[in-house]
Amino acid sequence: MTRYLVRRLVTFVLVVFVISVGAFYLIHLLPGDPAAVILGTGDSPANRTKLYAQLGLNKPIYEQYVVWIKNVLHGNLGTSFISETSVWGTIRAAIPIDLEIMFISQILAFAAAVPLAMRSARRPDGWLDRVLSAGSFTLLSIPSFIAIVLLVLFVAIDLGVPHTGVSSYVSLTSDWVVNLESLALPSIVLAVGSFVVYFRVLRSDLIATLQEEFITMARSKGLSQRRILWRHALRPSSVSVLGAAGVNIGGLLAGGFIVQYLLDIPGLGYTLIQAIGLSDYLVVQGIVLVVSVGVVLINFFFDMVINLVDPRIRRE
Amino acid sequence: MSSAFAVSELLESPAATPERKRRLGLLFWICVGWLSLNVLAAIFANVLPLDNPLQQNYSAINVGPSLHHLFGTDDLGRDIFSRVVFGSRVSIEVGLGAMAIGFGVGAPLGMLAAYRRGTLDTVLSLFMYVFLAFPAIIATIAVLSFWTPRSLFKIVIVVGVASVPLVFRVIRASTMNVATREFVVAAKVQGATDRRILVKELLPNVAPIGVSFLLIGVATVITLEGSLAFLGLSVSPPTPSWGNMINESRTILQTNPWLAIFPSAAMCLFLLCLNFIGDRLRSHFDVSDVKL
Amino acid sequence: MSDSSPLLEVTDLCTTFTTPTGPVAAVSGVSFTLNHDETLGIVGESGSGKTVLSRTVMGLQPRRNVVVTGSSRLNGVELVGASEAEKRRVWGLEVAMIFQDPMTSLNPVMRIGKQIDEILRVRRGLSRSAARDRAIELLELVGIPSPTQRYREYPGALSGGMRQRVVIAAALAGSPQLLMADEPTTGLDVTIQAQILNLLDDLRARLRMSVVLVTHDLGVVATRTSRLVVMYAGRVVEVGSTRDLFARHRMPYTRALLEGSPRLSNPAHTRLVTIPGRPPNLAQLPAGCSFAPRCAYATAQCHVERPELQPADGLGHYFACWNPLPTPTGVS
Repeated sequence: MTRYLVRRLVTFVLVVFVISVGAFYLIHLLPGDPAAVILGTGDSPANRTKLYAQLGLNKPIYEQYVVWIKNVLHGNLGTSFISETSVWGTIRAAIPIDLEIMFISQILAFAAAVPLAMRSARRPDGWLDRVLSAGSFTLLSIPSFIAIVLLVLFVAIDLGVPHTGVSSYVSLTSDWVVNLESLALPSIVLAVGSFVVYFRVLRSDLIATLQEEFITMARSKGLSQRRILWRHALRPSSVSVLGAAGVNIGGLLAGGFIVQYLLDIPGLGYTLIQAIGLSDYLVVQGIVLVVSVGVVLINFFFDMVINLVDPRIRRE
Repeated sequence: MSSAFAVSELLESPAATPERKRRLGLLFWICVGWLSLNVLAAIFANVLPLDNPLQQNYSAINVGPSLHHLFGTDDLGRDIFSRVVFGSRVSIEVGLGAMAIGFGVGAPLGMLAAYRRGTLDTVLSLFMYVFLAFPAIIATIAVLSFWTPRSLFKIVIVVGVASVPLVFRVIRASTMNVATREFVVAAKVQGATDRRILVKELLPNVAPIGVSFLLIGVATVITLEGSLAFLGLSVSPPTPSWGNMINESRTILQTNPWLAIFPSAAMCLFLLCLNFIGDRLRSHFDVSDVKL
Repeated sequence: MSDSSPLLEVTDLCTTFTTPTGPVAAVSGVSFTLNHDETLGIVGESGSGKTVLSRTVMGLQPRRNVVVTGSSRLNGVELVGASEAEKRRVWGLEVAMIFQDPMTSLNPVMRIGKQIDEILRVRRGLSRSAARDRAIELLELVGIPSPTQRYREYPGALSGGMRQRVVIAAALAGSPQLLMADEPTTGLDVTIQAQILNLLDDLRARLRMSVVLVTHDLGVVATRTSRLVVMYAGRVVEVGSTRDLFARHRMPYTRALLEGSPRLSNPAHTRLVTIPGRPPNLAQLPAGCSFAPRCAYATAQCHVERPELQPADGLGHYFACWNPLPTPTGVS
């Protein structure tokens, strides 16, 4: 267990390092003088000095990285010269929205996927399984941006579900009813996308597990079918679905970006797209760094969960 | 809840597993037909009797579907049908182009790593693992937002490179399955060269898995391009693409829903066919132990 | 012996699988009885239907694509055609099963202790600590060293032989009267096999259970069973007391099985004889005796007409053969 943990931690650090180098190097993809491009409309001698201190632009490139990473590790992602605000401040304000959407959508997705996958796996090729499998396969081919446009078109407008409004967005702590209302649509869209993946993965693993001899053994103990499914079959079947959840997080975030942008919800995605539009590169860089590390962290978390769920992994 | 002492062990023939024996089916060929039709239309769009997709016509703005405009027109009076056909070019080009890079680099490396094992495999696998952990979509967004000016070519490169680790992993895993089988060992014992074993023995066995993954990969890339279009990181208007047509439709959703519906339908059908064919091929060749 | 009615009474039991290529009769017309405190052996080659039989007897066949007819009564309770809920009441508490391969019959992600005491908690309603104490007792009973520590471990930490002991402990947890042991030693090392079989024997005597021992190895059943059922292609071809079957078997197939297994009574270096040919395809059984194509004594009649079981004596020895082997002279 400890060896496994150490190995995972080492790769985690390695990955984060590579991400930081990548995020740092983005600046140098900009055509021409990066300083001029980054400063944009805010180009003044004073701002230039500030930027040089942040990025160490006049130094050799590896020293630039050292200067930059030191700042980053001190929580200083720089100041946007477009909006004249702290980059970290901007990001920090947006993060809770993404976390909330992600949390709600994952709860919804698992709450639907687990029981339905069990139903399906109990009678593979039964009518329910056929309907669910065909349905999930079709949903798999609908990108989230199309789903949201169609939902707005056919559902939200008619039902009067809130589907726009930076102005109308209220944080969870100030009015949770309004908050949940405005996040309902994005959460559901993302939940459906995740559900499809989880359902399919869990269903096929459950079908395989239910063929196992230990299930027959559980049956021979006179245990109820419900107990066999939940206590005996679910856990050995959940490694792939947890892995899929870990991998899915990256896609989910990107899907969340577009949904936020379409529905004007001021999360990270919305902020990112605004920043791209305004050529506010320091904000883009900051978001890329924070989100990438976040994704890797979540992956790491799922790895640990898998490890707890299935003792076989540890022994490998 | 059938148990492990399945009927199969009672039978001489493995007939108890009908799913594997099943033919590809009508739906499979319908999907192949639909994809071919789309690709042909995209290739010959210039010669087909279509309206100019960029031609604005202010006397016919936001018209619904009619004989003259099969899918209606958009807010600038451009023919939606023509734009959907021309728009498919972007999706198909990005999908195939990116996968060409992904497979061109990832597949040979994956096969080589699985065949040679040892240090080469360890180093390549660690390298790919690290890059796989980097969320590909975020990386793509990041690179494309800095690497200006944007073009279709750059999208293909960035998405293609981002797909390399994934292709590597799939191909490596499926090669590994084959490389330990008797016929490969037999070929080795008989003194076949590495190149010969890789091309003649391994490739034909890995190819079916590769093809099914390729199709699913193309679908994934097309979805990704659509997302990029939404973020304003893909081809810029007025060039039509499915993604930016759907994006443009948002502002006039209530006045002209057709602008959203037709490109959405075209894209979803295209993706559905790709996924279906890929999935069917995968189960047909029964590569259950390769998880995508 | 206190109870005169048999513990298990199987009559004309048939198990037919519905497959895409047509019905497959895995078990056809099997009848036998098992008394309290008795051990019955079911022997046959692999594919003879003995595993299916042992499961169908307790109603543990797959839920779908299978038709079971006939009767199997445990303590007078009919299990054929009983609902899953009715069977569940019997399973675990009156009859329990030991499976072939302890590598697959234990849940790899469930702690050993839980797999044993689950039945006590769920079916007997024992408290957590009482169930735990009993499980540790059971682990000790089946000869697992440091049971308290093992209780908390996962099956992966144990060897095959130890795992099979855990499977036995789990089967014993419900204090069943009948233990179905389906090739309980096939998956184990030869040296471990005898240990497990002796353990089973010992437990049977101590806990006064009845055991059905399914095996392909006649050496296993020779000293451990009182009666034998010999199966071929889903049918009973000979049945009788173990002693009778070893000494006075009438069916050529039984002899072939005996010659295929090493016996201490044979002189050293006696060649083991393998049965020529392969077990038949159950989907396409020949019209006559299923063994005829492989039988040295087969006549034209054997190929067209199937022999029914007929008594060899008045003492419960039956065989199904048109050309039975002669009774050895000099044996009463």
